Amino acid sequence: MCGVSTVLITNPLVHACAVCVTGAGDPTTDAFNWSVLFLMAMPYLVVGSIAGGLFYTYRRTAAKREQAQTAEPPVHLAWNDKESGR
Amino acid sequence: MARSSTARRLDEDLGGREAKQPAFGGGDPPAPPVWSNAPIGSNAWVAVLMFLGAEAMFFAGLIGAYLVFRLGSPLWPPPFQPRLPVGVTGLNTLILIASAVTMHWSLKAVRASNRQTLIRRLVYTAALGGIFLVIQGFEWLRLIHYGLTVSSSVYGGLFYTLIGFHGLHVFGALIWLLVVLLQARRGRFSKERHVGLQICVMYWTFVVALWPVLYGLVYLY
Repeated sequence: MCGVSTVLITNPLVHACAVCVTGAGDPTTDAFNWSVLFLMAMPYLVVGSIAGGLFYTYRRTAAKREQAQTAEPPVHLAWNDKESGR
Repeated sequence: MARSSTARRLDEDLGGREAKQPAFGGGDPPAPPVWSNAPIGSNAWVAVLMFLGAEAMFFAGLIGAYLVFRLGSPLWPPPFQPRLPVGVTGLNTLILIASAVTMHWSLKAVRASNRQTLIRRLVYTAALGGIFLVIQGFEWLRLIHYGLTVSSSVYGGLFYTLIGFHGLHVFGALIWLLVVLLQARRGRFSKERHVGLQICVMYWTFVVALWPVLYGLVYLY
């Protein structure tokens, strides 16, 4: 395993994409690599944006509901006051 | 005098429990607040969110394909190809961004229960979107006249695929907007219920936000 890893790390030809056959140093190889990196990152970006949007909406809604619940009652009645013990 | 069946005796054995303060009228302290399990957004809103995620991945695939040819080519644009109308399309970009602004203003109008303002702003949005499509179509006709077609070269194929799919999405959004406009005129939307308008705004915002990315990549880069 160590031997295989050493060969893979030190051999410059493995920097080429597995699909293209042009080898290292060709602009097509770099183009493919950048494209693959971009497409790898996109699902995380999309799912992260959706999750972030849902979380932001949840926090905003929860804050609004909490504000509505702790709001002052429109009419002060005896049983709303602390002195009544209720 | 309290009845023995309901009154608590002073020496009652509470079994280790702490004696409660008698409340006004008797009874236990008020129950703790119950958290609402109502959804934070409508089903349609979540569905459109998922749909926009799928659309984003669709365009990511097209952009990935464009990147392979753009970065793999030593000279871009390739020689002997018509030059793209950067200036006119830049102006068109501003028109599309203005349509997104009027679209969000229409949401404000429905939340203020102002139906006439809502309809007016939706009309502005539709007009701006239509102007964008007309200018794009006109520029495409000029490019075709100068020899840039889908099959003329890889450059032409990439251009019309990427920009064409976006134009198709704008057209679809415009049709949707016209349907929403008709519903708004019939008084379908209120301050409390305007999910149909909300999801149309989401889709329009996506289509508009995508355009500067494509413009920068295809026209400027």
